[in-house]
Amino acid sequence: MTTMLTGRRNVLKGLAATTAMTALPRAARAQETTLRWWSPQSAPLQVAAYQTQIANFEAANPGVKVVFETTSDEGYAPQLAAAFSSGEVPDIVTHLPSFAIQSYYANGLVEPFNDVIDMIGADDFFEGANDVFRAADGNYCGTGIGNSAANMLWLRKDLMEEAGIDAAPTTWDELRAAAQAMQKNGIFGAPLPYGANSMTTLIFAGVIHQAGGQIFDTDLSVALDTQETRDALEWYGAMREVCPPGATNYSWGEAITAFVSGATATGIYTGRVLGNVNAQNPSIADSVTCVRYPTKSTAIAPWTFNDFPSVFIPAQSNNIEMAKKFAASLFDPEGYIQQLHAAPGHVLPVLKSINDNPDYQNNEIIQKYPAEVELMSEAAAGGFNLGYESANHPSNEKAGEVVGSGVIAEMVQRVILNGDNVDEVIGDTAKAIEDIMKG
Amino acid sequence: MATRPKTLLERHYALLGLALIAPTVLVFCAVIVYPLISAIYLSLFSIFTPTLEGEWVGLANYRELLTSGDFWSALRVNLIWTIGTLTLQIVAGVGMALILHQNIWFRSLARSLILFPYFVSTVVAVLVWKWLFNDLYGILNHLMMTAGIIDWPIDYLGMMPNALISVILVGAWKYFPFVVIAVLARLQTIPDALYEAARIDGAGPVARFFDVTLPQLRDVLVVIIMLRAIWDFKEFDLIFLLTGGGPVNSTETLPLLVYKEAFALNQMGMASAYAVVMMLIMLVFMILYVRRTRSVDGA
Amino acid sequence: MIRKIAFNLFAWALVLAVAFPLFWMLVTSVKPQFELFRRPPTILPETWTFEHYIGLLKETNFLNYFWNSIILSTTTTLIVVAIATIGAYSLVRFKYRGRETLAFLVLFTYLLPSVVLILPLYLMLVQLGLSNTITSLVIAYTTFALPYALWLLRSFMAGIPEDLESAALVDGATRLGAFRDVILPQLLPGIISTALFTFILSWNEYLFALVLVNSDEARPLTTGVMNMLVSSFNIEWSLLMAASVMMSVPLIIVFAFLQSYLTRGFGAGGVKG
Repeated sequence: MTTMLTGRRNVLKGLAATTAMTALPRAARAQETTLRWWSPQSAPLQVAAYQTQIANFEAANPGVKVVFETTSDEGYAPQLAAAFSSGEVPDIVTHLPSFAIQSYYANGLVEPFNDVIDMIGADDFFEGANDVFRAADGNYCGTGIGNSAANMLWLRKDLMEEAGIDAAPTTWDELRAAAQAMQKNGIFGAPLPYGANSMTTLIFAGVIHQAGGQIFDTDLSVALDTQETRDALEWYGAMREVCPPGATNYSWGEAITAFVSGATATGIYTGRVLGNVNAQNPSIADSVTCVRYPTKSTAIAPWTFNDFPSVFIPAQSNNIEMAKKFAASLFDPEGYIQQLHAAPGHVLPVLKSINDNPDYQNNEIIQKYPAEVELMSEAAAGGFNLGYESANHPSNEKAGEVVGSGVIAEMVQRVILNGDNVDEVIGDTAKAIEDIMKG
Repeated sequence: MATRPKTLLERHYALLGLALIAPTVLVFCAVIVYPLISAIYLSLFSIFTPTLEGEWVGLANYRELLTSGDFWSALRVNLIWTIGTLTLQIVAGVGMALILHQNIWFRSLARSLILFPYFVSTVVAVLVWKWLFNDLYGILNHLMMTAGIIDWPIDYLGMMPNALISVILVGAWKYFPFVVIAVLARLQTIPDALYEAARIDGAGPVARFFDVTLPQLRDVLVVIIMLRAIWDFKEFDLIFLLTGGGPVNSTETLPLLVYKEAFALNQMGMASAYAVVMMLIMLVFMILYVRRTRSVDGA
Repeated sequence: MIRKIAFNLFAWALVLAVAFPLFWMLVTSVKPQFELFRRPPTILPETWTFEHYIGLLKETNFLNYFWNSIILSTTTTLIVVAIATIGAYSLVRFKYRGRETLAFLVLFTYLLPSVVLILPLYLMLVQLGLSNTITSLVIAYTTFALPYALWLLRSFMAGIPEDLESAALVDGATRLGAFRDVILPQLLPGIISTALFTFILSWNEYLFALVLVNSDEARPLTTGVMNMLVSSFNIEWSLLMAASVMMSVPLIIVFAFLQSYLTRGFGAGGVKG
């Protein structure tokens, strides 16, 4: 879609001209300003925190109403596509991964965010926290509302002890052996995702890096067809023996539920595990811990997947100025800390002033698992994702489309579930990604 | 002088008749005829869904569609699904209708229970079946493991051929009540005298079924099969919600492909082309059905 | 006698097997979350709880979706049945050119797949500024509900003896008067059947709701409840089962009180052959 010289809505106009449809009245628009806020993060406590933030903002800005609406990790792409095409966009969207915004920004669908970052205080962000949001034109397309370390390896100390494992695994072989040793009495080893969904795409992109490979080279040419990708597929395939049979359809929800309910001995998720374990399955609360996900060998450094949960404002919003004001208000300590506490360790603060704020540190779960939270903060800060594979990679505007197309998850499914020829599948996948890059 | 001139009253009536059908015609033109023509028009464009920017590409979408493996694979899956689930629906439906035709205890309660899956929302049906199929806590796996049929939980929805079989089974469960009710209604009109005669001739229950019941059901079954074939062929909700077309595209039928092209791959023009081709395929069934209905009506 | 009992047991075993998923839905919805994770699973709940129903009503948008579905289905039903009743009257009892073609068109649209209409309809509603509204769904639902209702009512209408109407006309009634006084009362059971079918069809619709509505303000139950499943933070099966039960409430009411109308609709719905 590079050179679409035909004007916006041209197709629509052509259609409308053939009928008298346009004569019908358009829907009346409400008089007062209403901001629509979308987020895929909507656990009850998080929504409660959002309501505090909304109430504070509405009190300070009479005549403005903010409506929160839920989207989902697997559903936001089609929903936003429909919203953009209808022009009925939300005014602010939070917690989408950074690469999604980069794609939208490149298509002119997102408002530059520079002034909001200034309103929040550019200096207050951790060093480099906004690099991932810098677009090709030098503007920022959004900012982070938090950091997350999405592929932490969660472990059950009690089960490790029972199986005679004394150290957390650091390599693939160790992890596989540990998972095999702990797989008994109806408990499975790991809940890795093999479904046709974004979790599989994002986690497996990490596995390729953990093999020492990458999806794109530093010039953003596709670098998938490597031995590292083959190693990653081989190991990921071997791990299926220690995953529940239904892992073929797992995404985030199933993966966390499997570990929290005690059905798997290890887990792969963010810090949300801590809150869920304490609320839903307190009997294992004292036994859970986390480490960085193992790599193929100790020579390869861990690669943490941070989706850089974001805030951005769609360009078609009718209330851009108010939306910017609201976006900045999300970082006010009271509401922001409540939001972070709604899932402690899940979304980690991006502002230095918040991280150091005693109110933030004063939380039961953060204090119960200080080592884990510290480790996750550190891992997330040094984390990457498909739009930003390493510090040497430029921002990849097409990463959102690559994830949305599902080709990487499809590669996993074809090789591991269908047993298709590896070389052929990798070739097809590399070509599909190249096609997306060419647009 | 073959036709006599219309009287004033007849002309008045004709006008009244037209006035009464006018709202229907208007609505039909606005929400069915116009979109149908636009679908064909859209299929000649390449349209990026989020911006709706498009350019004329003529028949390129159709050329790409017919040469791509996706279309043929989806068509194949679509046919397997339709034939598979339809066969089960007919067999189970006729069987259950024969049972419910007997004077069993609490017959009307039994009939309600059988009818329920047909009317329950597909969303509800899918949620319930996903829960039954669950790998860790699902009752189906548990019962089968307890009974010693399997010693490892089955992955019902994530692997082939399980996924396609599961979808077909759930489809049969959801839609066979339609067959039950239609067949039951017909069974009640078969004269007892026919059975009496067969019995006197010494026909057993099986022979009576094949010699009396089945011939009597023939007409209604033909209609049911055509109608259900059309409805099953275009089924979207059940398959989309159960497997999303996966694993890979093993359960991806044409309606799912239309949705995927339009909103996941953002190719609205291509999606329209798929929709149009799908309609052309269905047209064959539809014309068969319409012709039959008309001939029966006219007779 | 023994054969009779054996047959009854066999018949009921089959019926219960078919109904089992619905029974399991009910049972799961009243089990506490921790009991779901028990192995082996309990068949009947050890602890009964209605916390999921309370949570569903209080903590989720369920009531909002439920209300949207009620408005949506009721409006669609009223509009569609009104148009279809006079339309069917015209198709069955009047003679004018093009009548046969129209009847054919109705049948054709009755069989048309929604997925063909959905993209242009979507663009049309966007163009009209109606996307994300309940109105947009009402318009979309008429595409399948109107042909359906027309087809059903046409068949019911054909079953009313013409003599009744003729008698009224001879007595000096106008056609519309005869329609109101003679046809409508006769047609009432058919109208109720059709209305029930239309309501249930609209209540259960998923695809249009998925594509046309992106805001909780207008979202009906089908897509609303499905959204609860794909959440990434937790999958609460008992909550989902409670939602499924609640979602089926209108259906259960229809089943309990108006079931004969449903079976009558089957006969009219084109299966009579």
